[in-house]
Amino acid sequence: MNSAVMKKTMYFFVLPALVFYCIFWIFPIFKLFQYSVTDYNGYVQSFNYVGLDNFKQLFQEEVLSISIKNTLIYTAITVILGNIIALMIAVLLNASISGKAFYRSAFYIPTLFSAIVVGFIWSYVYMPQEGLIASFLEKIGITTWDTNFLGSYSKSLYSIIVVDIWKNIGTSVIIFLAGLQTVPHELVEAGKIDGAGKWKLFRFITLPMLATSVTINITLSVINGLKAFDFPFIMTNGGPGISTNTLIYAMYKMAFTDQLFGKAAALGIISFAIIIVITIICVFTLNKKEVSA
Amino acid sequence: MKRFSRQSFVMLLIAMLLVLGACSSNSNSGTGSSNTGGSSNTGSSNSSDTSSDEKPVTLTMLVSGAKAAEGEDFELEIFPRLVKEKFPNVTLEVQKLPDEQYYTTVKTKLGAGEGPDIFLVFPKLANMGAIEVAKAGYAADLSDLSFWDRVSPAAKNDMSYEGKPYAVAKGMDILGTYYNKTLFEQAGITEIPQDWPSFLEAADKLKAAGITPIAMGDKDMWVIQFGMYQLAANSVYPTDPEFDTKLQTSETQLTDEKWIKTINQYKELYDKGYVVNGSLGMASAQAAQQFVDGKAAMIFTGTWDLPSLTATGAAEFERGFFSLPGNEPGQPVYASASTAAGYAINANSKNLDVAKEVFEYLFDAESPLFEAWVASNPSISVFNGVELQNDIFADVLGNIQETGNAFYFSNQMWPAGVSDAMQSKFAEIIGGRAVTAEDVAKAMQDKYTELYKQ
Repeated sequence: MNSAVMKKTMYFFVLPALVFYCIFWIFPIFKLFQYSVTDYNGYVQSFNYVGLDNFKQLFQEEVLSISIKNTLIYTAITVILGNIIALMIAVLLNASISGKAFYRSAFYIPTLFSAIVVGFIWSYVYMPQEGLIASFLEKIGITTWDTNFLGSYSKSLYSIIVVDIWKNIGTSVIIFLAGLQTVPHELVEAGKIDGAGKWKLFRFITLPMLATSVTINITLSVINGLKAFDFPFIMTNGGPGISTNTLIYAMYKMAFTDQLFGKAAALGIISFAIIIVITIICVFTLNKKEVSA
Repeated sequence: MKRFSRQSFVMLLIAMLLVLGACSSNSNSGTGSSNTGGSSNTGSSNSSDTSSDEKPVTLTMLVSGAKAAEGEDFELEIFPRLVKEKFPNVTLEVQKLPDEQYYTTVKTKLGAGEGPDIFLVFPKLANMGAIEVAKAGYAADLSDLSFWDRVSPAAKNDMSYEGKPYAVAKGMDILGTYYNKTLFEQAGITEIPQDWPSFLEAADKLKAAGITPIAMGDKDMWVIQFGMYQLAANSVYPTDPEFDTKLQTSETQLTDEKWIKTINQYKELYDKGYVVNGSLGMASAQAAQQFVDGKAAMIFTGTWDLPSLTATGAAEFERGFFSLPGNEPGQPVYASASTAAGYAINANSKNLDVAKEVFEYLFDAESPLFEAWVASNPSISVFNGVELQNDIFADVLGNIQETGNAFYFSNQMWPAGVSDAMQSKFAEIIGGRAVTAEDVAKAMQDKYTELYKQ
């Protein structure tokens, strides 16, 4: 009797959370699908249905392909490079060196700042001729390098990625450090007794034991990379031109600057499709790797 | 031990509540005493109604711009203070945001029905333009205010829709070229260039003397408009003042050779290396810093930027201002000038009457608020009888008033988004990509066709 009553009342406990979820999550998603076939401009409340015009327009413009390309590059580099660097730092910080606590805090501090502050300060670091990097190069006598980082079509995206990695390395390092603590000492010692060198120890013992940390870090980095918005917004305004536009930035600009909510909603749906595909690929690959590890 | 800590926690809570209660009662008694003082203040207000609600009213105001670098900021500090002195029950809360964020924030708030009581509106068809906000029903009709007979008709018209004014323009803004008089002397430039070849010559002299001729913060891409519109005022509109109206009926296109000429002129400045290297990586604030530090001789921007360009920098020098002469030798120089942004009242404001009273006070020629506003306003006043506050604009303004040779900023007659297309495509030219003026013009026209549906 007790369990039957409990089962029924349990559903009622879920109700408030469910209501919130529907109002703030499900309903806006349906609205997104609705707006993508209208010419709603986000400002005047009346709009017309225009069928698939928004999608057609998007496929003809270059913003879509550039944003997708930039987002994929951004994600790939932050995931791969960011995690490798984080892993190396975590291994270093795990070794017994003096001042470990200080170094650990130092590596984590950038994560605590807001992205806006970090982006703003780094845009002064990257300033041509007068910025930190340019002045430093001048001091040590290198005057021929082009120091126009944020204003150059080829360099701006990578300059922003550096800042993103710099800022977010803290979280990855912490997760890897936690993972490293769970590697059982006996296995490492057994390996040493068997005569394995440092690299072999790392590759065959430590790394497989870190499988869960790697999965977590990669998932988080992928999500962060696909959502990239802060740094293009603060540091380059998506520029020069549209060369550092990412999917989310392009959506924001379309919705709020060009006042084309309908078109931005269409872009939102295309991004949604792309992100789902990428996530599915990632999840399956990681799951397979984890199972085999 | 447990009972002790619980007791002390409860005592702490009670103590905090008492302190908070005392604080709020303090402020209550404060407004009470000034209320009695306020109700006797009926003489100086221009408005005819004597019933300024005795209930405390909070007016919210959202404007764009940068906080004054030195001294008190008019909108953030002086305006609320003087309003409080005149209407003790009215508290004016002002928020000032950088331009890009202003547009997004105010539109989102208005769209959600939570708009500020007073906000900034731009002329005609510009982004957040008077026509747009009037059509959407967000701005209140201000025809019943008493001071319109003292405002220049052009300024009133630019802020009107169907004959009714919806905002009070802050004044007239002129786009021009600020220059460093000392650096000009150093390079041997004795007089202000009056046509395009002379301007190029002057820039050459500066370059030869090792001085960076022009600084521009192209990372903030909207500054590309500042040079472009000055050239358009000389190369597009003098021979075809109705160009933008013809665009609306498709009689002409933005790919017209006049615009190609304008874009090519602006491109020339970059091709010849007159603009600072790496301008695409520099924000507009950083470019302004270059100017005040004496590292560049000229910068293209408008009257609104006077405060940041006359701020103290690493170098001491006298500033001057002239219109960029995109004209042929022998032709007159046309200035690029437009009605500035203005204050509008939210049509759905709960305090519509109070806001209107504040406006009457602000624009009453005898009120201290009007004087303070005129003193701090870099835009040129459009109210009768107000003297020019900043001598630096005297030459250009005098020329405009005598000859009438001026045209508005092009983006005020384009749907919002066309100027962005111009900026992105032109930025590719600055970035050294193989893009031509024809490509830029085509991008502008494509965007225009996409956006101009009405």
